[in-house]
Amino acid sequence: MGLVRKQAPQQPEELTAEKPSVDTLLQQLDDPDPECRREAALGLEGVADAVPALLTRVTVETETRVRDAVLTTLSAHDTETVAGGLAVHLASDDAALRTAVAEALATMPRSVPALMPNLLAAPDHDVRVMTAMVLADLAHPDAQVWLTRMIAEDPHPNVVTAAIDALLPGATAEHAPVLEAAVLRFPDDPFLRFTVQAALPRLTGTA
Amino acid sequence: MSAPATGAVLSDTDFTRFTEYFYKRTGIHFTSGKRYFVDKRIETCIRNSTYDTFTSWFAALRMSDNSGMLQDLINQLTVNETYFLREDYQFDAMLSTVLPNVLKDRGGVSRIAGPVKILSLPCSTGEEPYSIALRLLEEWDQIDQVDVEIHGADIDSEVLAKAAHASYGERSLQRVPKPWIAKYFNSVGTGRYQVEDGIRSAVTLHRVNVCDTPAMRAFRDFDVVFCRNVLIYFDELSSRRAAENLYGAMRPGGYLFLGHSESMSRISPIFTPTRLPEGIVYQRPTGAK
Repeated sequence: MGLVRKQAPQQPEELTAEKPSVDTLLQQLDDPDPECRREAALGLEGVADAVPALLTRVTVETETRVRDAVLTTLSAHDTETVAGGLAVHLASDDAALRTAVAEALATMPRSVPALMPNLLAAPDHDVRVMTAMVLADLAHPDAQVWLTRMIAEDPHPNVVTAAIDALLPGATAEHAPVLEAAVLRFPDDPFLRFTVQAALPRLTGTA
Repeated sequence: MSAPATGAVLSDTDFTRFTEYFYKRTGIHFTSGKRYFVDKRIETCIRNSTYDTFTSWFAALRMSDNSGMLQDLINQLTVNETYFLREDYQFDAMLSTVLPNVLKDRGGVSRIAGPVKILSLPCSTGEEPYSIALRLLEEWDQIDQVDVEIHGADIDSEVLAKAAHASYGERSLQRVPKPWIAKYFNSVGTGRYQVEDGIRSAVTLHRVNVCDTPAMRAFRDFDVVFCRNVLIYFDELSSRRAAENLYGAMRPGGYLFLGHSESMSRISPIFTPTRLPEGIVYQRPTGAK
């Protein structure tokens, strides 16, 4: 008993990749064992032909750990096909799914911009709230522009508040007018007013 | 002072805005007490960039997905020095709570099947896995009843060669009690000490990239993983992939220690945070969903 060594190589072990075939991994996406499905999803990293099967798996998967692995692999593709296939889940009744999808979309700065016109105009205001969540972490030069537009134009106070939350970490004094205007647009929303009033002194350097 | 930034000098507002941004991206929070340190490092980043003011540099950093700028910033603002018994409150947690739980979950000392497995990733030049070995040998009363495997892994073959040689200077050993040095090290020159052969041969070293999913499949059933101060260097996607690979390397119910400034909740929801007296540790859930 005590400290034991698994093997006794003299030098650090060089670990080489042993990857199952794509066909095997695609079959394993439907395996009854969640761990097998999870590993198959991760193993399909970079395999463009696997995108349709992975998007289908997002729709049917019930294990969150498997779904997260699928989303990790999918988001690395960052194509409009993947982004569009994921964005439909922003309207899901499953809160965990729509949040996980929003986090995945936030890592896809190349393909998400093409979705923005439709997302900003989505009739379901909950989809627009999730869109603000995506923009909060999206590394794209126009992310703040879209958020500012949501704050200035969106008719629903929850969307505007979500957009303000998303904008604030990177906001500057130049955003103060649009925030003040939002308060005037929704004078009966105390939470929105509080959020803006708490943030303004920092933005304008009067804190 | 809240004047607009001129040159590389940060106004108070700039400093607040910058520290909030950096915290959001890395989980590292700089208080105003670190103002001088942050100012100097940002000056260096601006000098290394194509921008000549804080305002333009910071705007480019925030608005672009130029990971090179962020990496330069992280390199400047993180200290990569490692040493024996660093952040040893987590080793305290391992000894006082985690390992007893592992033994209990695996049927108790008398019925445990296979060794307790501990992984240090990245292990750099070896200080962390050898620190774990020292703490176990000196302070864990079950060490004579249980087999323990310690593994160290890193992407860098040069640091692994140093880990295998396991020779350290006084700076690296400053927190190791003198009796431990006398007991577990051999003097190999002025101010240098080498970990004794028995411990060196007990630690298995591997070269691996934590983001390399196929290679990480070689790691399985670890009860305890230390992955400290590395995820902050990755972008969101790489962090998620690393988290998935660490998850796959762990036994259900296994424990993951991150650096004190890191948070798995910012990266992936697949682990369950558990609050111990010594801080947060993340567990691979035992059940489904």
